[in-house]
Amino acid sequence: MLEPSVDLYGAAHERVREHLSDLLDRAKARYALVVDRKGFVLLHARAVWAPAPPSLDSLATLVASNHSANAAIAKLFGDDGFREIVQQGADVGTYVEELGPDALLLAVFDGKTTLGKVKVHAARAAVEIRSELAALRESDAPAPTFDASWSESTEKLLDGLFGPRDS
Amino acid sequence: MSTINFAAREINFKIVYYGPGLSGKTTNLKMIYERVPGEAKGEMVSLATEDERTLFFDFLPLDLGTVNGFKTRFHLYTVPGQVFYNSSRKLILRGVDGVVFVADSAPSRLRANAESLRNLRENLLEHDLRLSEIPYVLQINKRDLDDALPVEMIRQVLDPTGTVPAFEAVASRFEGVFEPLKGVSRMVLEKLAQKT
Repeated sequence: MLEPSVDLYGAAHERVREHLSDLLDRAKARYALVVDRKGFVLLHARAVWAPAPPSLDSLATLVASNHSANAAIAKLFGDDGFREIVQQGADVGTYVEELGPDALLLAVFDGKTTLGKVKVHAARAAVEIRSELAALRESDAPAPTFDASWSESTEKLLDGLFGPRDS
Repeated sequence: MSTINFAAREINFKIVYYGPGLSGKTTNLKMIYERVPGEAKGEMVSLATEDERTLFFDFLPLDLGTVNGFKTRFHLYTVPGQVFYNSSRKLILRGVDGVVFVADSAPSRLRANAESLRNLRENLLEHDLRLSEIPYVLQINKRDLDDALPVEMIRQVLDPTGTVPAFEAVASRFEGVFEPLKGVSRMVLEKLAQKT
């Protein structure tokens, strides 16, 4: 069952990056991320004025897991999922939109903007990005090749990180 | 399923530590976090109760390094072992690439080991996955217990055919912690190479 999944590449990648930048500009949000539902970051953008973000790996993992947990809560009540997931703290808020079956759009914002503005622009960006991802699913993804040299190199890296084979 | 991000030049794998409650899954991740060099690890995230029992998951990202221009990364997760957290375990298994099953050597936990493995098989099926098709290793933990069951007896219950790579461990003393992770990582990488 283990198959590689290639989610964003080529010109579509650049277009999605532009949609994220546009979202940041219009909504005055700090960060915008496309995250796959397994918790990996596919693409991220940061407003020029925003402070350095926290660990994006942690953020993506928690957002994807939180989204899955919320979907499970909705299912308890016979619903497919919650249409939107908003979290608001004293200084920072997050807004999540689904991007089809495989990905999520996350916008992180603060007091420089309003939730309403973020929702409007995130929803618009989500429409465009969904369309890009849907087109990618229909097209032939680049076929990566992993030859013998790749296997040898990964084996050396495993030895370097975890110790040699018979240690 | 591994995620290949061509734009970021990254290959990402998800490895899940599974097993009964208190078998040592979180201890494994903590030890890995302590022993892996700083540049190869990210932040460890633990979603735990006040008494440090895993509530949702623990998470630790590891960077293996760059091969052929692709950064190769492993995301390690634990599941909550307690029986009543099954919904959480199902969620964590989404997109899993490899499994380390952490078994407890205590005689009183033999049945819990078997039930947890059955639960793993059931939860994988909900994602249309079969354990036999996934890179999977067994870590037989807590070998320092005075009354630890013989390894052969535990394997007879968890892997009667003897085909699954098994590693003895005392995770709390960092014995046998890297070996199963290295084993499953190698299997995951080999599987990807075969598929492409």
